This record gives sequence, C-alpha cells and structure tokens, in this order.
Amino acid sequence: MKLIITRPQHDVTTSYLFDWAKEIIQLAQNKGLELIDLCKNKANRRELTSRIKKLNPKLLFFNGHGSDDNIAGHNNEILIKAEDNHQLLKGKITYALACNSGKKLGKVATSNNEATYIGYADEFIFMADNKHINKALKDPLAKPFMESSNQIMVALLKGHSAKEASERSKKLFAQSSRKLMSSSADPNELQAAQFLWWNMQNQVCLGDAEAKLIC
Amino acid sequence: MSNDSKNILSNEEVRKLVIARLSVLSPDIIISLGAEGSFTRDQLVTSVEKRDKIGEKLAEIQMKWLRSFKEENLS
Repeated sequence: MKLIITRPQHDVTTSYLFDWAKEIIQLAQNKGLELIDLCKNKANRRELTSRIKKLNPKLLFFNGHGSDDNIAGHNNEILIKAEDNHQLLKGKITYALACNSGKKLGKVATSNNEATYIGYADEFIFMADNKHINKALKDPLAKPFMESSNQIMVALLKGHSAKEASERSKKLFAQSSRKLMSSSADPNELQAAQFLWWNMQNQVCLGDAEAKLIC
Repeated sequence: MSNDSKNILSNEEVRKLVIARLSVLSPDIIISLGAEGSFTRDQLVTSVEKRDKIGEKLAEIQMKWLRSFKEENLS
C-alpha cells in the first residue's frame, strides 16, 4: 500500500502543516506503508505527477494552500487543478488539508464516484501562538486544530472508510470546540472554539465515501 | 478567498461586535486564514475597520457561529 504526502514549507501556515504531518508519517511508517514524502521544494507538480503515475498510490495527503479549483505545493505552485489534471486523483482517496478546494476541485475529481475527496469547502482556519512559531508541535493553541484534522489520516490508516474518517474528524473538531467553550473564559480559547466549529462545518467528504485502505 | 460574504460589515453593530471580539485576544496570537496569510490580532482589527475581504470573512464566521446557537447546530 502506497501513500504520497505533500509538505510545502514556505510560510507560517505551511510550516505548521509541515510539522504536524510528521505524526502521520510516523504512523504510516509504523504500519509498514510505502510512503513518499514530497517535502519542501519536492512538493512540485512535476514530481507529484511523476510519482502518482509511476507508483499509483491509493492514498494522497496534501498539505498546503488551496482555492476553489486547486491545491498548491511549495511556493504555491499549483499541483492539482480542476479540469486540468484532476484525473490524477481517479481511483484514489485524497485528503486535502487546504482551503476551499472541496468547493470545486473535490466535486470535479469525484464526479461519477471515481475518486474520494475529503477537504474543506471554505477556509481552513487555525490559531497559533507566536511564541511557539518555531516549535509548532508544542503550540497548545494549534494542537486541537491539527489533531482534529489528522484524525482523518489516522482513521484511514486504521482501515476505516472515508466517511467514517471524516465523521471521526468532525466529532473531534466539535468536542474540542465544546471543551474550549465550556472550560475557559480565555478569549483566545473562545475564539479557537469558533474556528474549530467553522472547520467542522466546512469539511466535506465527496465521491466514494465507502472507500478504504485494504492492507 | 471566496467573495460570497460581502457587505456584512456595512452594518455598524456587526462591525463593533467583530472588533470587540478580536480586541480581547492576546497580541501574541496568529490566525492562519489559508492562502490569504497569517494575521495578528491588530491586523485583523484593521481589516474589519477597513471592511476588506479578510474582515468580511471574519464577520461571516461570527454571524454564522451566532446563528448556530439559535439553530442548535453544534451536535
């Protein structure tokens, strides 16, 4: 079973996603998956296209910026674009931790149920603490956002279906949001609760929702 | 960022509400708003005051969040 991860790192947002994806890399390695980590400048269109065509991975995990019709890699180079090269996602389970791409790209890529696409139909928002900017994994403010997102990959790697993985992630977003709302009068945490709720609301699971990894 | 959240901030009461909520955040926090970038508290307050698309997005989120309580959406 093969997995490709893209991890650009060129600004604060991508640096946080870069670091938090390490947990998924570790888990995939522990499970014996063949993992291709397209990190930093390797997260480019030529490299990604070549690897997908050569290896035909079942699972793709994109970390980076996105818009309605695309997901991007290092320095915001467009990796996958609707009506251009979205066919690269055919027959695969994709999780795009990127803004907005669930709105159009996900729909185009999963037409006729030929693929599975989990992503966000609007902005994916997270909060961070400037004091932890160089140690993202230790940032308590970012933690509930990243753990809720990572839950998708954790569930998929455990063999759950895409639908179940998305439901588990949404449940964690909701639980984290409620916890911050009910246990704290800290304005930062109350704001985080709102953004966690927002991400939950905008997460979509499109196409073949019953798709799962069969190791 | 999509443009389907325009003009919410033309309502002065909404503008005040969003600014009030942002103003109490710690100056050390950063909010990542995807491809638009990462912003400090003060930058976001300025966006709301200027009624730009970042400010409009924050207002949209705030209003939908408040409506969700009425609709008991947080299940």
